[in-house]
Amino acid sequence: MTEIVQMVQGVLLIAGCVFFAIGTLGLFRFSETLTRIHALTKVDNLGLGFVVLALLPGMPSLASGMKVVLIWLVALVASATSAHLIARAVRSQERGRSAGSEHHD
Amino acid sequence: MTLLLNAVAAFLLLTLLVALVRIWMGPTPSDRMLASQLFGTTGVALLLVLAEAQAAPALWDVALVLALLSVLAIVGFVTRVVRIDRRES
Amino acid sequence: MTEWLLDGLLVAALLATAVAALLSRDLFRAVVVFIAFGLLMAVAWVRLEAPDIALAEAAIGGGLTGVLLLDAVSHLGSKWPREGRQRGGKQ
Repeated sequence: MTEIVQMVQGVLLIAGCVFFAIGTLGLFRFSETLTRIHALTKVDNLGLGFVVLALLPGMPSLASGMKVVLIWLVALVASATSAHLIARAVRSQERGRSAGSEHHD
Repeated sequence: MTLLLNAVAAFLLLTLLVALVRIWMGPTPSDRMLASQLFGTTGVALLLVLAEAQAAPALWDVALVLALLSVLAIVGFVTRVVRIDRRES
Repeated sequence: MTEWLLDGLLVAALLATAVAALLSRDLFRAVVVFIAFGLLMAVAWVRLEAPDIALAEAAIGGGLTGVLLLDAVSHLGSKWPREGRQRGGKQ
């Protein structure tokens, strides 16, 4: 029984690693900031979810498991917020550039 | 199991090294802040994996603080450097 | 074996971020590299089995110092306009 659980944990950890690798590859290879936001904030949080899911069977109690899931939810909210803010920053910079005015006023 | 966890942690550190190249090269400031957000997310995963590998539950708090405060740098960037609040009301 | 790999990668990343933050001519890039250095330093404290210092480092180095330095960079950028900051591209 524990061997099966450990095998599932290993598979989930490796899946999380693959998603993190894809996210970083997207950050490295995509050509534009908005597409980089797309790669980063979706794929990396999915990888974090897989890692959290892999760590859940080793938790000593239910409360600590809930805490780790809470950490994942906080990371999701944080990532969504920062993606929105960076997208607005990119858009405001583009608008400032097209209007011909510098934005450090 | 600890071997696999340490290998995963080393792989995540390798990912962070690649993201460091993006911080150094990134053409616009938004790309650099985006890579720093990647440092936040991957750092949370790294700390969770290390907490399991070292059997230290105190590291969950470190991961929580990291997830909460990595937004703060983005908010500082958006309000102080780019200033979206002045451009669009 | 993997612990040596992990520690070696961590030391390499710390040295790379420290050197990059010192050598960068673009101040904004130096600040972002310094934020990354703070996060890696927190992981280094974790590896040294000092989780309380790692907590303080994650809060100070990752959050507060980043905001303070970004504020300082924006003030400097309004004093010296943009071409001085954009010119220092490649080392």
